[in-house]
Order: sequence, then C-alpha cells, then structure tokens
Amino acid sequence: MAATPDVTDAETRLEDLVDTARRIRDAIESVIEGKSDVVRLTLTVLLAEGHLLIEDVPGVGKTMLAKALARSIDCPVKRVQFTPDLLPSDITGVSAYNQQSREFEFKPGPVFANIVVGDEINRASPKTQSALLECMEEHQVTVDGVTYRLESPFMVIATQNPIEMEGTYPLPEAQRDRFTARIAMGYPEAAAELEMLDVHGASQPLDKLDPVATTAQVHALISAVRAVYVSQPVKRYAVDLVAATRSSPDLRLGASPRATLHLVRCARAHAALSGRDYVIPDDLQDLAVPVLAHRLLPSMEAQGQRRHPEQVITELVRRVPVPDTR
Amino acid sequence: MKLPVAAGLSTAAVAITLYPLFDGGAWFWASMGAILVVTVVGVVAGRLGARPWVTPVAAPFALLVYLTAVFTHDLAWLGVVPTKDSLPLLAELVSTGFDDIQRYAAPVPANPGITLLTAGGVGLIALLVDLFAVRLRRAALAGLPLLALFTVPAAVITDPIGWPAFVIGAFGYVGLLVADGRERLSHWGRAVVVRRSRTLTGGGSPDTGRLALSGKRIGVTAIALSILLPALLPALSPDPLFGFGVGNGLGSGGGTIAIPDAIAKLSGQLSQQNNDTVLTYTSSDDQPRYMRIYALDLFDGTKFTPSGLRGRPEDRVSEGPLPPAPGLGPAVTVKRAETRISISEDIGRLTFLPLPYPAVQVEADGDWRADESTLTVFSTKDEAAGLAYRVVTGEPEPTTTQLDTALPQPEGEARYVSLPSGLDPRIAALAKRVTSGATTQYQRAVKLQNWFTHTGKFTYNIRASGSGRQALSHFLFDERSGYCEQFASAMAVMARMLNIPARVAIGYTGGTKIGDKWTVRVHDAHAWPELYFAGVGWLRFEPTPAGAAGQGTAEAPQYTLPVTPSAGPSAGPSSGPATGTDDSDTLGRPSRPNPRQIDRDLGAVPLAPAPGMPVIAKVGVGAAVVLLLALIPAAARLLSRSRRGRVLGRTAPPAGAVPARAATAGGDDRAGRRPPADAAWLELCDTLTDLGMPRRRDESPRALGRRITERYELDAESAASLARIVSAEERLRYARTPAAAGPGRADVRRVRRALAGNVSRWRRLGAVVAPMSTLLRIRAVGERALDLFDLLEGVRLRSGPGPAAGSVQADRSYEAPRETTLTGSRR
Repeated sequence: MAATPDVTDAETRLEDLVDTARRIRDAIESVIEGKSDVVRLTLTVLLAEGHLLIEDVPGVGKTMLAKALARSIDCPVKRVQFTPDLLPSDITGVSAYNQQSREFEFKPGPVFANIVVGDEINRASPKTQSALLECMEEHQVTVDGVTYRLESPFMVIATQNPIEMEGTYPLPEAQRDRFTARIAMGYPEAAAELEMLDVHGASQPLDKLDPVATTAQVHALISAVRAVYVSQPVKRYAVDLVAATRSSPDLRLGASPRATLHLVRCARAHAALSGRDYVIPDDLQDLAVPVLAHRLLPSMEAQGQRRHPEQVITELVRRVPVPDTR
Repeated sequence: MKLPVAAGLSTAAVAITLYPLFDGGAWFWASMGAILVVTVVGVVAGRLGARPWVTPVAAPFALLVYLTAVFTHDLAWLGVVPTKDSLPLLAELVSTGFDDIQRYAAPVPANPGITLLTAGGVGLIALLVDLFAVRLRRAALAGLPLLALFTVPAAVITDPIGWPAFVIGAFGYVGLLVADGRERLSHWGRAVVVRRSRTLTGGGSPDTGRLALSGKRIGVTAIALSILLPALLPALSPDPLFGFGVGNGLGSGGGTIAIPDAIAKLSGQLSQQNNDTVLTYTSSDDQPRYMRIYALDLFDGTKFTPSGLRGRPEDRVSEGPLPPAPGLGPAVTVKRAETRISISEDIGRLTFLPLPYPAVQVEADGDWRADESTLTVFSTKDEAAGLAYRVVTGEPEPTTTQLDTALPQPEGEARYVSLPSGLDPRIAALAKRVTSGATTQYQRAVKLQNWFTHTGKFTYNIRASGSGRQALSHFLFDERSGYCEQFASAMAVMARMLNIPARVAIGYTGGTKIGDKWTVRVHDAHAWPELYFAGVGWLRFEPTPAGAAGQGTAEAPQYTLPVTPSAGPSAGPSSGPATGTDDSDTLGRPSRPNPRQIDRDLGAVPLAPAPGMPVIAKVGVGAAVVLLLALIPAAARLLSRSRRGRVLGRTAPPAGAVPARAATAGGDDRAGRRPPADAAWLELCDTLTDLGMPRRRDESPRALGRRITERYELDAESAASLARIVSAEERLRYARTPAAAGPGRADVRRVRRALAGNVSRWRRLGAVVAPMSTLLRIRAVGERALDLFDLLEGVRLRSGPGPAAGSVQADRSYEAPRETTLTGSRR
C-alpha cells in the first residue's frame, strides 16, 4: 500500500511535466514555424541536462531557436558571438583589480547564466573552445585558482556553420563528444516559410514572447525526468547500440561511454515528454542519430562511398535486435 | 584438418562398413594400419613439399613394406624389408585368401590370407582416395573408390547395411569434402582488410568457418534425409530402423553358404579308388543311420541345387536344441536315440556335420549353426575333420494310418513342389501310371519307390553318364541305369509331379559295422530323396537299389516298403529291440519349455504375414504415417494456442481487482501479471509468423503495432485490440509496473481475424496445416543439434596442431604492422 502515493505522485508530476513542456514548445513554435521535431529535441536535451549543438547553413533560424528557448523560460540568458580573437577570459570572466577595495574582483563572464548561446562556436580558437568545455562538463569555472559554480540548470546551445570553412577551427572530437545532441535545422517547408514571411515581416515575434516557465519549474521537470524508469533490457539495448558503432567497419571512431550515458538520459527525457514513466526502445531509436552521429568518424571506405555517420547509425539501429525479455 | 588426414579418415570410416563380412577384428587393425601407412606417406610428402606424383609412387612401396612386416615378418630382412623368400609367401597368402573368399560365405574367418587381402585392398583404396582428393584435388571423385569399398558389403551380404554403418561412412566422405573445401578456400589468400584490426578475428587465413558450417549443414541434412526417408516409406525399406548389419534379431540375417556342385562331388567320391573311412559312429540303439550332410531343394531342370543356408548367431547348436523338425506333429511317436560320431582326420575340407535326421540336439566344438528349414548344421569357419560330436535324434515313427491321412501341405514353401517348365511331359504321365491305384499320397510315394527298386527294372551303375535336360528322360525311359544321384533326383522330380513336396538329401549311408562301431567309407556317399508329409515331416525314401547289385549299404526304411493290404495298420517300422532304445515318447511339444522355440516363433512372425499384406495397404499405412507426422506441427500449434487462450481467459477479471493486485505486487515482483500479456503477445507473434507477416528484429512492440495497423489497414476495433496487446507487452517488458488491464482473449481473436482477412485463402490454410511458427521452432531445435556438431568441430580444431595459447598473442602483434601499411593513414 505504501507504493500507492508514490505512483500517484509520479503520475501528477508527469502530467505537470507534459503540460509545462507543451507550453514551452508552443511558445518556441510561435517563433520557429514547422520545426516541431527540432523543438522537441531541444526540449529533450534541456530536460536531460545536456548541451545542444545546432549545425546548419546560415539563416535557417539557429540563433532564433536558441533565443526563443531562452526567452520562453524565465531565466538569465547570455549570448556569446565566437570570433577568432575571442579569449577564454571573455567567456569565463576575469579578475579585475578594484581600485577602491584594492582587491582583485571577479567579473563573471557570459557563462554565468542558465542558458548560454554560443554563436558560430567553430570560429573561436581551440583555446577558447576548450575553456567552454570545462564549463559544459563540470558546471564550474576556475579563474586564478578560484572555482565558481555555474547556474543550474545550465545549458549551452552552440551553433556552427558546416560549410563556411574560412577562419574556422573545426570542433575536435573530444569537444563534440560533450554536446549531448546535434541537430540540423534544415530549410523550412514552403508553407512554413510563407507563414514566416507574414509573421516576421511586420514585427519581431521574439519580442512578443513571454516566459511560460520559471527556473523552478524547469528544475522540477528535470527531477521528474530523472525518475523515469529504465528497465534492464533497455539499458542493454543502449549498450548494444553504442557497442555496434564501435565494431562497425564503416566507422573509424565509435561512440564513447559518455555517449551511452547521454543517450539514456535523453531517452528518459524523451519518454517523459511522451507522458511515459518508462523508457522504451523506440525512444533510443528516435534519439540515436542526433545523440550519436556527431561523435563518430566515418572510415575511409565510408567516406569514399559518401556514407555519413547518420546513415551508418540508421543502418545500425535496423540491425541491432530489440531486447526481448525472453 | 589437413586434407591427407581427412582422406585417411574417410577411408577408415567407409572401411568400418566391412565389418559384417568378417568374424573377428584382426582385419580391422590390419586395414587401419594400411590406411595409416598411406596417410603418413601422404602427410610426410606434403610436409617435404614433394611433387604430387611422389605419393602415388612411394605409398605402394610403403604398403608393401607394411604388409611384409605384418604378414611375412619371419622371412623378411630385418623383419621389414621384402626379400625373395617373403614375396612368394605373400603371393601364396594372397592366393589362399582368394580361394578362401571363394569358398566361405560371410562372415568369413579372418585368417591371414583374407586379412592380407582386406588390408591390401583397403590400403589401395586409401591410396586411390589420396590420389584423387589430395594429389589431383578432386575430392568429389574420391567418392568413387570409397563407393567401391562400400559396395563390397552391400553386394556380399543379402541384408542391407545397417544405417549407423552407413552414417559413419557418409560422414567420412562429407568430412573429406569439407576439408577439401576449406583447403581450397584457404588458398584464395587473405582478403585485403581496410577495417580496424580489432574487428579482425582470424590470423593469416580467411575465415572459412561459415562456409564450412553451411557445407556441414547441407551434408548432415542430406545424410539425415537419406536415412529417414527410406525408413518412413515402408515399401522401400526391407530393413527396419535400428538394425546394425548382420544378426540384428529382427531381419532374417545370417550368412549364406554356397555349396559348390554337390552332385559332381558325390560322383567323384563314389568312383574314388581307395575307399577310406570317412567317419565312425556308435548309436544307443546300435542301428545304422544315414548321415545326412545337406539337402538340395531347387531343381533347375537338370540337377538339384541347394538354396542358401541361413545361420544366425542365435542358431548356434551350442546355444541349445536345434529348431524343431519341420512338419513333425505331436501325434507321431518319436524315437529318441543318441549317436556319437567321430570324423576322420584325413577327409578334405568339410564345413558341414554329417548328422542323422532329424537331429534334436548337437554337441560339437566350434561355431556350428543350424539351418532352420533343412536342419543342416554348418559352420563358416570351423571344419569337421577330426571332430567328435554327439547327436540326439528324434526319428518319427509314423503309423501307416498317419501317413495315409497326411496331406502334403507344403507349409507355404512352394519351392519343394516347384518344377521348371519344359520338362519332358512323358515323365508326368509315367509318374501317374506308376502310381495308379494308389489312393493316398503316401501310397503313391511307396509305389514310386517300389517302381524304382523293383518293378521298374532299374540297374545300379556307377559309370552312368549323361547330363543336361535330357539326362532325366534318358535315365527314366532309355537307360534305366544309374547311381544314387539319378535315382534320388528322378524320384524327387516325380514326387513333385504328384504334388508331394520333395528334396534330395546328400550324405552317407549308414555304413557297415566293424567291431562295435559303424564305419562309413567314401563309397558310402549317397543321395536320397526326402518326401514331406504334413504332421510327420520329411521322410527318407530309398529308390536306389541296395545290396550287392546296388549301393551296398543302402537300406530302405521300413515305412517305405509296400504293405500287404491284409497287414493293416502296422505298428511301424523296425519295432526294434527295446533294449537299446533310449526312450520313446510322444513329444508333447507345446508343453515342452523351450524358450528358443518361442524366440523362433516370434522371429518368424514378420516373415510370415509380410507377403499377405497387399502393397496398397502398405502404401496406405505409409501415407497415413507420413500424414500423421506432417500434422504434428499443426497439432502443436493448436495446443499452444488453446493453452494461451486459457491463460488469457483466466484473466478477464473484474476491472477493479486488477489494479489493486498490481499495486500490491509492487515494482519488482512482476511475475503475478506476467503470463496473460505474454500469452497474448506470443500468440500475436506466432499468428504473424504463420500468416507470413514477418517481424523485424529492430521493431519494438509499439513499432510493430504501428506498422501492422498501417500496413494492413485494421479497423478501429482491431487496432484498439492490437494496441492493447502491444502496450501490455511493452509495459511488461520495460515499465516498472505492468499494465493494469491486460488484453483479453477477444482481443487476440479479433486481431487474428483481422490479419487473416488480409491474406489469401491458401495462406490461411497453410497457417493452419503447416504453421510456420512451429516449423521454425523445430528448425531451431535442429540448429541447436547442428551447433553441437560445430562444438565437436571446434574441439577437434583446438586440440589439433596449432599455435599454442601463448603464441597467439605474438601472432596478433606481428599482424598489426602489416595492416597498418595496408591501410595507410587510417588513424
């Protein structure tokens, strides 16, 4: 009988979660038309306490998505435009000498926010990029030997242009691995683009966007996601999927154990967004490409055949059998 | 496995099938040694990188040395090297071997000659197999010499070869083919590998395991089919399953003895110059007795010949009393007598025991076996020369009445009255004329004998000649002169014409009494007819003239002498002095406890009714069996479906009860609700399989439900049922707590009906008659069995010559740089 309150509690929490998530989604979609998959994935990453890498050609609304998400949640948002001359201290903050107090005083950088939008992250030098890394992974900043905790929730939404090669430093594998998922915006459909013209032509819809959730609510959502049940077979399936990338002859570099962790975390959020308190293999299948693809390096053969890691992952998902309790 | 070794093993496997031909195991080890010699030569030649022609040239020499060492060890130089003394001995052994093979019927004794021949032959086969498979790389062709070896037992033994022996041989050949395929593949070289080394499992050779595996599976399936199919078709299998070659107790079994022209031998003996003693005997009643050696039952128009003898191991005379005398009924008085016989040391080769008829018990040293129908006692390896043995006979002493009333019913054996067509028609007329006036078959027989001995004016002449088809007519109508052979044959033929079963017995007359012993000499060799009377059995008749003008010691039995009508029913023949008679009793056969007889009766059962069963019935029974077997999967499917239906039916509980139960069950204890959702899901999966709607491996229950609903356009109700089944299974597998309300029996039924509506009628019928889900399960079991074979294969490979565990590591590290150079800037 003791289990009953827990069950009901979990159910109400789940209902709250679905409700709040829908509100955020609606808010974002009022700005970004016809990209519900992308929006859903963005929310999934947020609830999985991950970081998102948006990769696409300029002008498809990458920054708009990041801003819309940030705006719809009532929390501090900072935006950093990455340029080749950007220094690590420009991100983390600096210790400046205070003439009055005659002491060094820490001036927090843009990472001290709940949501950090890093625009064109691959334009910064590796040194600066790696400064962001520490923040992303450890949720803390160390300046002059003093460590400062970052906000919670903390999410980095980075964008990068794939085709603009001049003056860019491609993100190293290690850094890509820290992003929970990578998504491509893609061009909008004709109808969505038409509507966009109507909406964006007259005014800036972002201005009209009001926060629909508080930081506390997001915290609650995150803790609800953490409670989502992952059964043993599903865990095994996640491990199988990731292991398959390591043995695939099409891939030079497979996914890391951190990828497995991210995959399962995202699957929890994905399940919760669907109103389920347990993860099913379908969650993992839906997330395999965005969560795994950017961490992989195709083999020379696959490159020669112009097979992208996305395709390889899709094939792997089709090959790895779904766990059966029998 | 190395190819030469595989070739040797396959030869050895097929050589095992020779075993029913031999008595004793000496041949086996000698043959294995010969195979080993050839194989070793092949392996060594391969190791030294010798040219392909070296082995076929060197191996015969090695074989010769081996045979010399084994068979003519004493005369060889150093016991091994053939010399001019040892070679002729070897040749002599070979010729004795050939003679012995001609003379003996299987199973032959493994004497040196035969063993030498066998070992040499098997060695040559091994040589040929090696030549084809290893030197010429035509492993399939190597099947020809193996087949030749295999046909030897198949041709010699009338019974089919036992299936285990066949399986061993077939596996040998399949093993050779597999080894050849593997070797061939390994010569293709290594594939150029571009992928990462950690995915590489093998060393320097391509992985032939998979190919070999499929080859093995095909081989095993083919062998299994070749065993099972004939066994299931009753018309094609004379041998039931689970018999192993000779003497399996079910089949007729036993070797057959060929008797080389018995009649010719007889005349030779009679005309011999020196009249040596063949045997001496004493009998308990001191009466002379004809010593019968064997009986000839087939008449081909010119002469009588014996049909094959059957001597199963359980027919050994040492194992107990002989089979009962055929046709002897319980009403007839039987006179028991004991005869002690000793055969002369000097007689030629004799593999039969001369015995008075009918013998009840024989005590003789050696492997002597009794033929059931003729009571001939013979051996395939022991000789009678010098043998002393004891015989108990039970001679029938029928009364005239008994004989008169006896009907000549030939116990279903038509061979005793069958005559070839084209016989002189005058003979039949003559037989009728001679026996006119006789009212019973017995009287006809007596008249016939009387005609030969008295009224027919025949004379005895040992020089009588004439053979061929006309010889009989010549003897009866023109010459009326001859010796025992002609008399016996003629009377037997005429008796058959009168429809009295008859055969010709060969042996010796009772001989003459010298001192207190009866002595039988070469000139006492004799032939006489035996006629059959139901209830009495086979009775000896004596048409050959006796006395000084005839065959001296021949003597007509009392009952064959014509009776004067006034004499009435006589008390029987020679109601001899009661002093010497052992005991004379009517044998109460049914009451006599004789387990062997019961055995024999049982053994006879499959033989007797077999011809009575019409072919149609056999085919019908076979078809019915096949049909029943074919329906097993359908029955299994129905069974599992109804079982699942019961499980589902059990859980259509009131809605309120279930959540409470689930709640109390709590998180981890899922067993309580497990079966129903599971049953519904399993039933769904099986239905899909049966209807040919395959599941994908990467499909979760939810995805499957979605796909099925869309693909087959299920109506709302069925879709909802499907969703219930699917989500129950999903929760069961992945959720903390299983679904509150599981699917019911109606859901499963509805989905099944909706799905079945999407396929053709034939498919629906197939789903019922041959459900794929069950067939796949059966196949899975079969594959597990095959995996066992693979396991064995693995064991053999691991124990074979290969790098030790430590050197594997070294191999890998050696391989690594090579791969790096192959792929260049991989990393």
